[in-house]
Amino acid sequence: MPERSRMPLDSALDVLGRRRGDAVVVSTMTALAPWRARAGTDRDLVCLGFMGGASTLGLGVALARPETPVWVLDGDGSLEMQLGSLITIANAAPRHFLHVVLNNGVYDTSGAQRVPGEGMVSFVGLAEAAGYAQAVRFEDVESFDSALDALLEVDDPVLVELMTQPTGVGYQVPEFAQAPRRHPFAANWRGVRDALAR
Amino acid sequence: MAQATSVPASALYDAILAAGVTDVVAVPDTHQRSLIDLLLASDAVRFVQCTTEDEAMAVACGLIVGGRRPMLQIQHAGLYACVNNLRGVGIDGELPLVLLVGLLGRDPSRAPRETFDSMVRLAEPLLDALEVPHFLIDGPDDVHSFGEAVRLAEERERPVAVLVGMQTV
Repeated sequence: MPERSRMPLDSALDVLGRRRGDAVVVSTMTALAPWRARAGTDRDLVCLGFMGGASTLGLGVALARPETPVWVLDGDGSLEMQLGSLITIANAAPRHFLHVVLNNGVYDTSGAQRVPGEGMVSFVGLAEAAGYAQAVRFEDVESFDSALDALLEVDDPVLVELMTQPTGVGYQVPEFAQAPRRHPFAANWRGVRDALAR
Repeated sequence: MAQATSVPASALYDAILAAGVTDVVAVPDTHQRSLIDLLLASDAVRFVQCTTEDEAMAVACGLIVGGRRPMLQIQHAGLYACVNNLRGVGIDGELPLVLLVGLLGRDPSRAPRETFDSMVRLAEPLLDALEVPHFLIDGPDDVHSFGEAVRLAEERERPVAVLVGMQTV
């Protein structure tokens, strides 16, 4: 897919950030640092150190807190590592569960190698076949912005595939994860647990 | 060693409930199928089925974030399959995860480490390498180990494994 038909990652995250509310947001890989910079709260879980785990990490929170919206900001390469999670999520049918797949076609953090199936795989098709309530692909940010409010009203799991431009930035250790005294994930999940308990 | 004997599924089920477990996150295990039947029929715990043990590890983590007390129920093959998430989620994340691991193929007359089948033989050495404490349930008298494992996991804030030596009945 030519880059002109992909939206900038930052624009896509801005659309989500404006509607974030009290949602628990699980971010991973390319989206992690820019999401936290623009819309981070004490309800941000990071999937850091176990690539592919974002979707099921979000599922666990959603099952524990059915009244709380849970969003997962996944990557195409990340989701491919745990593709069966689409079935696990659809089977568990969490409420208020938005699964965003940022499909930039490459492993952006490791040198922009092409993701297997790039240009062929439809994550919308996979989600529909797995049993998600709705799955929609967007190639421009305006269409995504127009449709998102209605998608957030759907009770059962929804997958949104956003065709985004590679950032070309490569791997960056988030500021909060630099020179830690303990692994940053250990502190992160406790913070989110405490925020949800308040 | 003494001959290992089967564990009544009902005793293990009672131990799980007594420990306050709220959710069993599982990839089915032939070895523990009678226990799975009890868990599936239970109103006291939620049974969350996953397609892989990697997923189960992350689901359990999310449940803990949300204030629940989950455990994992898997087979030894699944333990080998999810080493990176056991490390990344459980160990680095400092999560009090209790793993109930069935040792399908266990020779009841030998210690697991002395079993011919590598699937059984390597389970304890792998857990040792990962610094995951483990208990072995080799008969009805060992069922109390489950509660001890839950307490140890919460005290250490790290994963603890409970190996189910013989098939539950």
